[in-house]
Amino acid sequence: MVIIASILILVVSFFVFTGTPVFVKNYSRIKTFCSEIAGPALKVLGKPVDGMKYIFNNYINLINTKKENNALKKRIGELELENQKIYNLEEENKRLKSILKITEKNPGNYIVARVIGEDVKNWFKCIIIDKGRDDGLKEKMPIITPKGVVGQVVEVSKWHSKVMTIGDVNSSVDVNVEGRDTRGILEGTDHTVLRLKYITKNDEIEIGDKLVTSGKDGIYPKGIPAGIVIAINKNKAGIFYDIEVMPYNNFKRLEEVIVVRRR
Amino acid sequence: MKFYTCILLGIIFSIFESSLLSFIPAEFLKPDVTIPFIIYTTFFHTPQAGLVTSIVMGIIQEVLSTSPNGSMIFSKVLIFLLALFFKNKLYIDSKYSFSNICAGAVVCESLIYILLSWLAKGETKHIENVLFFMFPNAIFTGFIAIFIFSFVRFLNMKFFNKD
Repeated sequence: MVIIASILILVVSFFVFTGTPVFVKNYSRIKTFCSEIAGPALKVLGKPVDGMKYIFNNYINLINTKKENNALKKRIGELELENQKIYNLEEENKRLKSILKITEKNPGNYIVARVIGEDVKNWFKCIIIDKGRDDGLKEKMPIITPKGVVGQVVEVSKWHSKVMTIGDVNSSVDVNVEGRDTRGILEGTDHTVLRLKYITKNDEIEIGDKLVTSGKDGIYPKGIPAGIVIAINKNKAGIFYDIEVMPYNNFKRLEEVIVVRRR
Repeated sequence: MKFYTCILLGIIFSIFESSLLSFIPAEFLKPDVTIPFIIYTTFFHTPQAGLVTSIVMGIIQEVLSTSPNGSMIFSKVLIFLLALFFKNKLYIDSKYSFSNICAGAVVCESLIYILLSWLAKGETKHIENVLFFMFPNAIFTGFIAIFIFSFVRFLNMKFFNKD
């Protein structure tokens, strides 16, 4: 009986995976329901994680110091922790100020969101943000930071949304090389570096060139920094260069992001 | 321990993994925390419990990931069927044998995902990445499984009065 049920589920999930409309429609309802339960749980469980994060960032480095001397060292540790806290607050202040600079220009166009999680599988490069359908988010909305492009919204639920970063292998961004008449497609590789494609050997490009979004892909607004060229393989056979690009954002270190509402 | 406690633990661990590991800058530190719970319920509970656990774990992973719809349920249910097949052939006598089985299940899961992508869509866009992380994920899941097994056994003895 269990084996028959399992095989049935395998068949159904296979049809869901292939995108068969009847199965996908029903499955989406179940998934949306589960997402709406998981959203608040992520936020609630994210709170102790913030505390752990604080300990991870600030306290662990001080453990050995604290062991050496009890009272005085403890006091120094506390002061250092406070200093570190001030430093963190300053850093956060800087980040929020830079976000505010962008959002103040067109207040209705931007939504600031917090990163509350990331993909549980390292096969995909996705982050989870704390804004969802209730905040007006929709699929394909671009996500940026003051440093540059982060990715696009791929799944929206009531409380939270999933963002595919530009580092994901399924991501493509139409970019221009700043200050040059060169255009290409920036693709994710699932690793730290990105790959700039379709730059012909006649095009002008050098290591250190900055890439900005062209706005022609219909998703990302024009002129958002996307990355910097770090390697060009000019000896590759064929008509295109093999170019590696480092994104401006470290997707593992994102805390706040900006959702661009209107393009 | 009732199997729904295992499910609850699996959900909590997955959500913690999603939010906690987001600030640890290490790609390799991403165990599949749902696998140990699927293996545990399949080996130590009824087949029905194993099936329910694998479905719930599949859904929760899809909710916390951008994996294509249906892919995680498919791979988790197939892992359950494989575990069910090996239930009377393999004997879990310690946390280490449990860890080895979990590591093996992660390798199987990666291969199942590649096979599923290839069969269903004729493309395996993530193949390099899946293969790249297959063994690190297996090793790390195996490592985590030791603690999960000990933790579940501890809960069994402490609260459920059962060895």
